[in-house]
Amino acid sequence: MSEIAAPTRPVVAQAAFRVLVVDDDPDMAAYLARLLEQEGMNAETVHGGDAAMVYVMATPPDLVLLDVMMPGTDGFQICERLKADASTAMIPVVLVTALEDQKSRVRGIRAGADDFLSKPVHREELVARVTTLRRLHATRRELESRRLAAEVQRKEALRRTFSRYIAPRLADRIIADMENEGTPFRQGAQRVNLVALFADLRGFTRLTESTRVDEVVGLLNEHFNVITDAAYRHDGTIFSMAGDSLLVGFNVPFPQPDSAARAWGTARDMLASFAPVHRRWTASGGVPTGLGIGIASGEAILGNIGSPHYMSYTIIGDAVNTASRLVQNARPGEILVTGRVYESIRNMIPAGKAKSQGEVPLRGKSGATSVWSIIL
Amino acid sequence: MEDKAYLVTVAKDLEDLIPVFMGNRKKELDTLRVALAAADFEQLRQLGHRMKGVGNSYGFAQVSDIGKDVEDGARSGDRALLETAIARYADFLGKVQITYE
Repeated sequence: MSEIAAPTRPVVAQAAFRVLVVDDDPDMAAYLARLLEQEGMNAETVHGGDAAMVYVMATPPDLVLLDVMMPGTDGFQICERLKADASTAMIPVVLVTALEDQKSRVRGIRAGADDFLSKPVHREELVARVTTLRRLHATRRELESRRLAAEVQRKEALRRTFSRYIAPRLADRIIADMENEGTPFRQGAQRVNLVALFADLRGFTRLTESTRVDEVVGLLNEHFNVITDAAYRHDGTIFSMAGDSLLVGFNVPFPQPDSAARAWGTARDMLASFAPVHRRWTASGGVPTGLGIGIASGEAILGNIGSPHYMSYTIIGDAVNTASRLVQNARPGEILVTGRVYESIRNMIPAGKAKSQGEVPLRGKSGATSVWSIIL
Repeated sequence: MEDKAYLVTVAKDLEDLIPVFMGNRKKELDTLRVALAAADFEQLRQLGHRMKGVGNSYGFAQVSDIGKDVEDGARSGDRALLETAIARYADFLGKVQITYE
């Protein structure tokens, strides 16, 4: 029967609604396509089950008009396949059949057919059924589009909220992984290698003594605004903001092979950005202030720490403690780093700006720590 | 068999499809004859089923009627019914006159 010729069909303007007509009889396919085109739809025809599957996968139509009785893969089988595949399951399928017995209809329903048409196909019935499905399809698309828009808005609102407290990249990661049980943010604590940077405002306590209480918050905000910007520029993750100090982690929670360089860049930018603020405060308050920074690297524990009532996603461990001790020793404008960090960044430090302090005993640590001082 | 022509009215908007449609019917008639000679009842059943579906859709009720006889004859292996149906089909295709409205 393959010698039956397919009628030539006029080219119609690209319509929004695309129907794939599947019928092994080219005359029947051409007839159905003609009726649909007269309703302003774009109809394509294929003459076999396998060709239909190829077509649907390549260019998914908005609706499939599917003949049941075809040699090879029949309409029931195609319908079952389309409905079993998540990418095509939502495409409405109308089975076209001369089989009017109840058994065939039941089989069609089990195959997932959305509607049926009996041969001979009557124009009015075809148009009515397809138009109804088209309307349902449009409604479903509209609802899906609204759902997606609402989801985007919800995530954006979450991102904005999160980003006030944590690095924007971390916020994006949390949102992306929100529904994933395997996300690191839902996992227990994990041991990581990181670089910890503490930045602390020196002289701020004295400054607050000479400043009205209501102005203190403004000064702190200005301070944190400058230094968090610097941390974010280098993709640092802010884990803690307490008093006038800030804890930033690198290589957590995302791998950063250049984490020491990022920490160094952050420290340098913090000092540079803070310099004009420092000058202004000094001029108006009469009390010298400045930023001290401590950087250490090593192992730490990353995770959600706290109680069910209050939980903090943070880092704890030797590297964090060491950075904390270093920042306590740092003078205004000084960056103190461990020997290990220094070895990683020494090529980036301008000549003559770094000076070894030797092995320094740090409070709470049993042994001495190699410390380098950098003043730019 | 009829002496007079078979008059069929087809929707105007299908007019450009009819030459190919009629050409396919004539090929179909040849295939029916070959299938009957070969006693290929499965092919005869498929051809009859197709005729039944497509005839009425275009406005050719006789094609659907003959197709039903072909399908039934093929299912039951009724050679006489098939021969009569194919002869009716040949007669129809030789005398059909189409008007468009």
